[in-house]
Amino acid sequence: MLACRKILFPLALMLILGLLLASIKINALLWGQGWGLLASVIIIIALALLYWGFEQGRVSTREVAVIAMLGTIAAVSRVPFAGLPNIQPATFMVIIAGFVFGPRAGFMVGSTAALVSNFFLGQGPWTPWQMFAWGLAGTTAGMMPFIFPRTGARVMTAFCFLWGYLFGWIMNLWTWTGFIYPLNWQSFMATYAASFGLDTLHALSNAAFYLIFGPSFVKILQRYRRKLAVTLLPAEIREKASSMTGMLF
Amino acid sequence: MFEQFFYQEKGLFLQSLHPAAVLTYLGVLLVLALIFTNPLYLLGLLLVVVLTISAARGLATWETYFRLSLGMMLLVILINPLVVHAGETIIWRGPRLPVFGPLTVSLEAIAYGAAMSVRLLTIISVFCLYNLIVHPDKVLSLLARLASRSALVLSLATRMFPAMMRQLENIREVQVMRGVNFNAGSLKERLPKYAGLINILLLSSLEDSLEIAEAMQARAFGSGRRTCYQRDAWRPRDSLCLGGSLLALALAVYGQVKGFSTFAFYPQLGYLINSPGTIIILIITLLALSIPVVLSWGWQHWPYFKARI
Amino acid sequence: MALFQSENLIYYYPERESPALKDINLCIAEGEFLLVIGGSGSGKSTLARVLAGLVPDFYGGRFGGRVYYAGQDIREMDRRQLAREVGIVFQDPEKQLVMTSAEAEIAFGLENLGLPPAEMSRRVAEVLNFLDLTEVKQKFTAHLSGGQKQKLALAAVLAMQPRVLVCDEPTSQLDPVAAEEFLNLVKRLNEELGLTIILIEQRLERCFHLADRVVYMDGGQIIYEGTPAQFARWAAPREIPFIPPVTRLFASSGNGFSAIPVTVKEGRRLLRSNFNCRELPDPTPIRHDNPGVPVLLSSSRAASGKQRAVKGSTREPVLSLSKVWFAYPDGKEALQDVSVQVAAGERVAVLGANGAGKSTLLKTMAGLLKPGRGRVLVQGRDGGIAYLSQNPNDYLFQDTVEEELLFTLNNFGLADDGVVDELLAQLGLASCRRVNPRDLSGGERQRVALASILVTRPRLLLLDEPTRGMDYRLKEELGAILTAQNQRGAGVLLVTHDVEFAAAYATRVLILAAGRVVADGPKHQVLGQSLFYATQIGKMCRGYVDGVLTLPEALDRLTPVQPARQAVSV
Repeated sequence: MLACRKILFPLALMLILGLLLASIKINALLWGQGWGLLASVIIIIALALLYWGFEQGRVSTREVAVIAMLGTIAAVSRVPFAGLPNIQPATFMVIIAGFVFGPRAGFMVGSTAALVSNFFLGQGPWTPWQMFAWGLAGTTAGMMPFIFPRTGARVMTAFCFLWGYLFGWIMNLWTWTGFIYPLNWQSFMATYAASFGLDTLHALSNAAFYLIFGPSFVKILQRYRRKLAVTLLPAEIREKASSMTGMLF
Repeated sequence: MFEQFFYQEKGLFLQSLHPAAVLTYLGVLLVLALIFTNPLYLLGLLLVVVLTISAARGLATWETYFRLSLGMMLLVILINPLVVHAGETIIWRGPRLPVFGPLTVSLEAIAYGAAMSVRLLTIISVFCLYNLIVHPDKVLSLLARLASRSALVLSLATRMFPAMMRQLENIREVQVMRGVNFNAGSLKERLPKYAGLINILLLSSLEDSLEIAEAMQARAFGSGRRTCYQRDAWRPRDSLCLGGSLLALALAVYGQVKGFSTFAFYPQLGYLINSPGTIIILIITLLALSIPVVLSWGWQHWPYFKARI
Repeated sequence: MALFQSENLIYYYPERESPALKDINLCIAEGEFLLVIGGSGSGKSTLARVLAGLVPDFYGGRFGGRVYYAGQDIREMDRRQLAREVGIVFQDPEKQLVMTSAEAEIAFGLENLGLPPAEMSRRVAEVLNFLDLTEVKQKFTAHLSGGQKQKLALAAVLAMQPRVLVCDEPTSQLDPVAAEEFLNLVKRLNEELGLTIILIEQRLERCFHLADRVVYMDGGQIIYEGTPAQFARWAAPREIPFIPPVTRLFASSGNGFSAIPVTVKEGRRLLRSNFNCRELPDPTPIRHDNPGVPVLLSSSRAASGKQRAVKGSTREPVLSLSKVWFAYPDGKEALQDVSVQVAAGERVAVLGANGAGKSTLLKTMAGLLKPGRGRVLVQGRDGGIAYLSQNPNDYLFQDTVEEELLFTLNNFGLADDGVVDELLAQLGLASCRRVNPRDLSGGERQRVALASILVTRPRLLLLDEPTRGMDYRLKEELGAILTAQNQRGAGVLLVTHDVEFAAAYATRVLILAAGRVVADGPKHQVLGQSLFYATQIGKMCRGYVDGVLTLPEALDRLTPVQPARQAVSV
């Protein structure tokens, strides 16, 4: 059962990739116009699978609370800050959370941040894509320690930098699949070129956040993660009490 | 300021719908917006959505959405003609570009771009409608039946969001009083100041999360199998809306298969109305989708109607 | 039969060397109203958590001894079963509500218990009715007021229909009106529904009389148990501050009283027959230079007006607001034509209901909000105003206490001329200089926050509800710190709901209502004339000896009648 749970998450990811590939065939059946719809459906299925993975795992009350809190922090940090337009530490927070608490928590923090912040900033067609993109950022960050056990600050800075672009690219997918025809590499390039500037800014600020605050934030979270484990020991009752019977655990 | 898009209870008919009915309705609107290519169909859909938004007294909000989507609409209108060379009616020939080849703008590509921007606007308007008539709480209660733990994380985060925004503002004020000037310095100097705020927020929130977990545990969270509290009643109005949505979906699929709701942009623009079926399907679909707005109108004007649905 | 019975309970929090609880042998009867009192860190919250089954299950650590609930060992009880029997309401309503609507919040516990939907609907409806929350049923929990949130937290616990209700300082984050309402509800639950109540409180004025029995804890141990009057009699000579002022007056002035009052009403009844009023030697005792000395000001307004004029000329104002108006973007006028001056060496307390504009006033003074009309004049340089917000946690993010202080110094470009050492010593923080501020207790954290803003040697110190959730000892320490700052020449202005604290440590009191200053003057004048913003001693002495606000003043003015002449008995 436990082993079954362990493979659930990678399984879900594999399934998503499979679906993406299969959709090329399916699209032909949808009169060649259903790309936008298909892409959205795939994303929603992917989200459902990932949420299902979270439902199946074992999660303590403390973890539920801390995941919700981290998700809220990431959501709050999306709100534009006076004097710093377009610079949001949301991606950075999601990556840090995933890195320390693991892929499943990382996904929840990322997707929660997207959905919840949009309750206040306005839901839109971008919501599922943001949930997916940030969720995936958290998931992959959570996998980093497994794939590269010696991940240092330098690797993670590069990772944050990369996600600045990846996030933009995932977000571009829905513009491209939904509203551009034909879907060829030129139109792809044009769509991506249009967002290149913003993505670069995003990537650079992510890297900067990690460079300056990554290690200390990771330390804070790791210190907190140790508190998640509850250990209970019997206490020795002091001399006068210990003479009584039935007192010692 | 950050709550301008947050759901506001106005006591409207549309806000009283069951979450399952209203989400199906909005979902069908989205699907139709994504599969229709005929400009008539897209415009009709947009009309229904905007009418419903006005019934939800949200035209002012819609304006904000409209302005936000203008940029993206422009992008779509621009990219399509520039990169697509499938159109035959060339209206402008430009220089040769390195990646994209010869720069030609065709009438067809412009028409396609315009149709797609209508599609984009429709989709964004559907979400605007969503924001106006669906309380986050209703979605979360629906989700709680399917995935209780995820729903709990989401509702906890939604509930904490305003408090945390306030806390962030308090921390900012405290930092200002401790001599941090957020408006001065280069980008490189401002970034650490900003991250300092998040740092304090993180430390405090982690401490708080322990207390929240404790309160949850005290209320027997995680003590065994949970049940689900159902708050929303299913009324005749929900059946009507659901029926209308499903009818519209079925018709749209039929129209798509028969080619009534599709439109050929390339290589040359086709006919908007290529058979009487196009008009008939369009009208029935739009009528089916207008059920909520019609009911809403009736609900407002006839007290008798109120009690029946 | 005892509902709770603990035997030689001992408990250590994880990674702690000294026990949080030791040798606890306590017996709680069904239907009892038990008040647990003691300072911060005395173990009372831990005891509450043991009874609610959270210690050690949630916290871990080392646990010894036994606790029985209705004859059953708590540690062997099913968690669900215990949660049905014992409910707990915590200090901060912000941190115990988890759902988005009030209705869902109440249902949350019931869902966790796995109750059938029909049963849930009935319980939710009942409890909404009982606590008068039907109107906010659909509301977003984050949009409720603090009092409503705490009531909702109570409702959510009551829906689970517990037999025991544990309240861990439930009113410490509430304003006086909401606190009063909450405690009245708790009393109703005890009297009408027969719930066993275990209440932990700091502000004893409002709950001392409710209790059947008082348990006093210190250092993780139960030091004394008894009725409120017995406890008062025992505690007063031992200088233990955990008794409401009225009770303390009777308990500490001569041991001969046969009756010890626990409410203002009883106090007033017993006052005339037990105390003689001592006339003051000087009938016009307004002394400007010594504001701490009690003054009698029931006489004329003209006198006080003159006094203010005199004060204005002799003392330079550190800050002056003239005709200040402030409106929020939503159009709410939070300040209307406010003119206030704060002089060096003054301690001004601002009182007023929620939404009266107190915090807005403070932020306008601090320069965080720019007034729409009017002028704010500040004397001095950058960093001349220090501001302590409600939550000291908003300050703490450095690795050590020392760095917190240096952070502020660096921001203002000031050098450490020994001010750090001086402040750490002055605020009793010298020993935790290299400690992470997040590892400190609540009271210490507030002192660190205070130190981090005092390093600039400000001319004006602004504090927003600094006594929230603090026990008597911590309040005394804070009062001493403020007085010391005052003597250094700084002006102090604090916003508070705590009339007792204002009476003890302020020199001047200002009352705001709906954005306007409705009273401004020396504390004896303002608090002495007000019916609602009055101290417990003041309420008791009204009409008998006027102008008395605090216990020391009362002891000064009242002499006990010889015990032999007493005839009143309980």
